[in-house]
Amino acid sequence: MKKATILFLSLVFAAAGVSAQEIAVIVKTGNSSFWQNVQTGASDANKELKTMSKKLSVTFLGPQSDAMINEQINLVESAIDRGVKAIVLAPSSVDALIPAVAKAKAAGIPVIILDSKLNGPTSNYVSFLATDNVGAGQACAKDMIDRLAAKGITAGKIAIESWAAGQGSEIDRVGGFKDYIAKNSKLTVVSTQYCGSDQVTALNQVTNTLAANTDLVGFFGANEPAAVGMGRAISQAGLSGKLVAVGFDGNGVMQGFIKDNTLTSMCVQSSYKMGYLGVKYAYDVAIGKKKISDRIDTGFLMVNKDNIDTQDAKNVLY
Amino acid sequence: MVNMSDKKISLDKVFTFGAVVILFTVFSITATNFFTVRNLLTMALQTSTITLMGIGVTYVIITAGIDLSIGSVIALTGTLAVMAANLGWPTWLAIAVGLVTGIACGLGNGLLVTHLRLPPFIATLGTMMIFRGLVLTVTNANSSPAPDEFGALGNLTLFKVSAPDGTTVFPGISYIVLVMIGMALIFHFVLKKTRIGRYIYAIGSNEEAARLSGIKVRQTKLAAYVVSGFLSAVVGVLLASRMVTSQPNGGIGYELNAIAASVIGGTSLMGGIGTVGGAVVGSFIIGILNTGLTMQGASYFAQQIVIGAVVIGAVAIDQLRNKRA
Repeated sequence: MKKATILFLSLVFAAAGVSAQEIAVIVKTGNSSFWQNVQTGASDANKELKTMSKKLSVTFLGPQSDAMINEQINLVESAIDRGVKAIVLAPSSVDALIPAVAKAKAAGIPVIILDSKLNGPTSNYVSFLATDNVGAGQACAKDMIDRLAAKGITAGKIAIESWAAGQGSEIDRVGGFKDYIAKNSKLTVVSTQYCGSDQVTALNQVTNTLAANTDLVGFFGANEPAAVGMGRAISQAGLSGKLVAVGFDGNGVMQGFIKDNTLTSMCVQSSYKMGYLGVKYAYDVAIGKKKISDRIDTGFLMVNKDNIDTQDAKNVLY
Repeated sequence: MVNMSDKKISLDKVFTFGAVVILFTVFSITATNFFTVRNLLTMALQTSTITLMGIGVTYVIITAGIDLSIGSVIALTGTLAVMAANLGWPTWLAIAVGLVTGIACGLGNGLLVTHLRLPPFIATLGTMMIFRGLVLTVTNANSSPAPDEFGALGNLTLFKVSAPDGTTVFPGISYIVLVMIGMALIFHFVLKKTRIGRYIYAIGSNEEAARLSGIKVRQTKLAAYVVSGFLSAVVGVLLASRMVTSQPNGGIGYELNAIAASVIGGTSLMGGIGTVGGAVVGSFIIGILNTGLTMQGASYFAQQIVIGAVVIGAVAIDQLRNKRA
């Protein structure tokens, strides 16, 4: 509802030619709790900045699904056409958005890239603001190795439940995980499945993988739906606590899995911080005329049973 | 005339059933742990939801229609049921909320097709987006956990046998599978033995002739869409219960599995031909492939190729045989 109102207002302003200072936040899709959380961060930043600049408005836009790349390009182009002050963009494709971003630069509109990398000349955008997915994947691998070692296990089979092959953040995260496992342990990855970000598909795939490999010692669920399906499969197979299960992201369901030992730990990236910092830095660059760093890590936190109730964890959980 | 088409359908069944047996044998040999009681039960559980959707869409396809809104109805009905359960409503009432919503969705689809005279593809493409938009609006795209009692239906089993030391001898048959068997029997009976079933076939074969012979075409079509909406809701509630979670983003693309199951089972997209038994067998071909290929350790990419080839192959063979006959 709020989104629709903001969009409507921004259209009205554009039509009336009012010189509003608009920062357009364009994400992969509005349809997921991860991006909704980015929006919460963006609108909180907006509220703070409003005190400094009354004309400021932040619009939050995204296509129906993260596969609708063309629609995202259209959103960027129409933002350029209505003369926004800055664009914060989470590109759905590492290549397809390059021309649109170059067009923004040519129009003198600074772009901040959020969450997923964009190929092409880095001079097209002012900064890349994201979780270090390679680092986060490595951290998950390290956590799995350490926790298996604590149980006296140094070699064995593990499996991965991922979401979509070939997305920038997936390549980095799952790639980082696999590399670290290969270089630092005697564990072997016997299966990598992709659930298309559908929980039930993840549940079925993990159930089948567990049935086929009764000697599995660890499982990695690489995003929210994959990790939720993985947790449910492990719990239904009666393997909670018997298997080292590391998840990625951390919604309410996953927090429950941490508490009942189904998930050993989960790597939570700060989606709120992405939205918040994205808007803040866009404001600094476009209106404050400040220089910002060209790579900003929004960070992640490994959450487990011991730290889930701490303030640090509460800041990133959603 | 009637006899001939009956014979053809039964031959189709023999053929598709043969395919199930072949797949079964191949996977039992090549994948360890495939041919075990536990895995067969798991496979039945995972396939049941495809079966239920497949039966519903078969009703619609026989009328020469299509239902693309199935995945969205699953998300909407499952989520509303979880929301009702989270309000503290008893589980049966929460389930009823989901089922009634599904019937309403089916009714909406049916009315668009029969009264606004929209092509079924367009009508249900539109409602696919509308229902998805509704569920995302009410939940803000957040999936939320359901109370434990709500998860009973999707997670408990019947006839579970445990040894005195606590180890499981027989894991039991999931309620989801029992619901599927019950629904398959009911909707098989309705399609084969009741007047409305015969009307559905008649409309699909020749709508104008059916109208002229006094069949109430609108009501009959409406009924077919309601069946699809209702069975989608059954799947929505069962999956929400199995996950003990609402999934506003779940079910995307499920209608394609349902249509594939129906078509592999011999349903003609031109209307007039199709059976509940065919949808059951078709769904199990997909289910066995999903499970078997995963367990065999086939790469996910190769799995897509194999399943796609099977869909095309099944229908191609059907077409060739029809031409000869």
